[in-house]
Amino acid sequence: MNPAISNGGRRSLWVLFWLLVVFLYAPIVILIVFSFNDSEIVSFPWLGFTTRWYHEFIAEPTILSALWTSVKVASMTALVATALAIPASIALVRRRFFGKGLVSGLLLAPLVIPLVVLGISLLILFNFVGVPLSPYTAAIGHVVIAMPFAILTMVPRLERIPAALEEASRDLGASSMTTFRLITFPLLVPALISAFLISFTISFDELVIASFVAGKQATFPVYLYSQLRLPERLPLVIAVAVVVLVISVIVVVISEVGRFLSERRLEAQTGVAAEEFGSMRTGKG
Amino acid sequence: MSDSTPAISIRGVTKRFGDVTAVDDLTLDIREGEFLTLLGPSGCGKTTTMRMVAGFEEPDEGDILLRGDDVVGVPPNKRHVNMCFQNYALFPHMDVQQNIEYGLKLKKVPKEERATQVSEMLAIVRLEGYEHRRPGQLSGGQQQRVALARALVNEPAALLLDEPLGALDVKLRKQMQLELKRIQHELKTTFVYVTHDQEEALSMSDRIAVMNAGVIEHLGSPRDVYERPATPFVADFVGVLNAAELTVSSIENGRALMTVNDRDRVIAPAEGLDLTAGANVLAAVRPERIDIAKGQVDAGEGSRLSGTVAQIVYLGTLMQFHIDTAVDRRFIVHQLSSDASEAIDEGDEVTLTWPVEDTSILRVGA
Repeated sequence: MNPAISNGGRRSLWVLFWLLVVFLYAPIVILIVFSFNDSEIVSFPWLGFTTRWYHEFIAEPTILSALWTSVKVASMTALVATALAIPASIALVRRRFFGKGLVSGLLLAPLVIPLVVLGISLLILFNFVGVPLSPYTAAIGHVVIAMPFAILTMVPRLERIPAALEEASRDLGASSMTTFRLITFPLLVPALISAFLISFTISFDELVIASFVAGKQATFPVYLYSQLRLPERLPLVIAVAVVVLVISVIVVVISEVGRFLSERRLEAQTGVAAEEFGSMRTGKG
Repeated sequence: MSDSTPAISIRGVTKRFGDVTAVDDLTLDIREGEFLTLLGPSGCGKTTTMRMVAGFEEPDEGDILLRGDDVVGVPPNKRHVNMCFQNYALFPHMDVQQNIEYGLKLKKVPKEERATQVSEMLAIVRLEGYEHRRPGQLSGGQQQRVALARALVNEPAALLLDEPLGALDVKLRKQMQLELKRIQHELKTTFVYVTHDQEEALSMSDRIAVMNAGVIEHLGSPRDVYERPATPFVADFVGVLNAAELTVSSIENGRALMTVNDRDRVIAPAEGLDLTAGANVLAAVRPERIDIAKGQVDAGEGSRLSGTVAQIVYLGTLMQFHIDTAVDRRFIVHQLSSDASEAIDEGDEVTLTWPVEDTSILRVGA
């Protein structure tokens, strides 16, 4: 307990915390509640429980085809973003080179560039180069925004793998490539899985860029957004949104739990080494 | 031995990091089969020297020869030396067997032969039956043995050890020192050992290279380095040292006499030194070479200094006396506790005496 905070202060902090939680999660709860409301108008009063909207959703081929497009785009995005993030994070963590700050800034810049700006720029670029819009162009756009997340997932893991392991491998006769294959890559796998799942989720949920560059084959969020023009379709859209929400949450939770567990295992395995390495990085050693 | 090619020959090697010269025109031949220690404080260039031999750093100037072949520019995986890292650097996702056979596997040694060699190595480091443990399941000392086995199984031209015992507690460290010496003796592999621990260096090495600021200040046997240190730095780094600036009064029969007052004097061997009467010198004597006695005592041939006991520290097997002496310096004297039976108390007037040959002249001139 922090003695600097009085009892009254602690109570108001507690209230503030719960207000914040309500503010963050109330919309989601309401969404879930209304997806089961037996009414075409999304408002109170509650007219009874139904799973009708979910049945309609499953019976609708255009929804399923949009879903399938999104799965394809998200898989391509996740694969490419993760693959590109490997050399990028290794360069950022292991190498010393001129302009490293600038390079890391450039790599992470898509985090702060407005999506609308990115979407328009990509559209102009694809038109200029003459690439027809398709799920592939959507995937390219998504790689741009997913890669910073993939890099930020891998960097901390890489920082916890002592560089001495790679030196030891080189010392025992392995080339740089063999060292990567036998030492770095296997130790990086948990972070790769996290990066893949996070990139997948980012792409799967993304609306703005996809609406600019996905072309005629709408991705799932683009399709949902287009349906909002028709009021009677709203409850259906809500049911779909709930399904997407649940899947996204499950994916992210799995990836985070997996990363946490493997992180702990690496710590237990390298023991002192990882600890010393950490303190060296923070400048205590 | 003298005419055979050295295992490692470092010739005029310089390494700079920015404006800092880490290793400065260093030349050193390491003989086949010897246990050589690079000893020095942190930042003296000892680890950089070792990393240049291993291939993790390239020298800015000079040559490094492994068994006669120049290896500058050769990547570490193509150099026939192996290294033991400070924190062992065992591969956490592999078991002990996989760790040890890593080098052999890369050399495409067949499976059965690998297994035989691994179990031979495990016998040498006394870890039989640990093949399928993961590094995380081993104690620090056991991890150290695996790291040794992993390096030695490749039969390197030299084994480079970078402060390998630094992470172990004192008792285990002493035990591993003996183990290392035994293993080196058994395999007759050249060991190059980097440490800042003078005791470790003295107890294990055939030869010690004491390094300071990128150069070797003294290369010699442990006894040589300890008893006849080449420079004041070496003397100070390798042990507690009593040193004083004195003026030579006369030279007689190859001995330099430095008179302190009408009773006290320091006498040192002067052979091989360019000494004349009136020269200023830095003279030194080790704490355990000095005899201490209450009151005024005759010193016979040797040196003699009177002083006052300022402090007595009990160190178990040793008693440590801090004496304010007639040369205006506090001297430290070690006596075995069992010998120091005479009741000397703090504040007592005492006389320190030691034989002529135990005085070393560390420096001539101011």
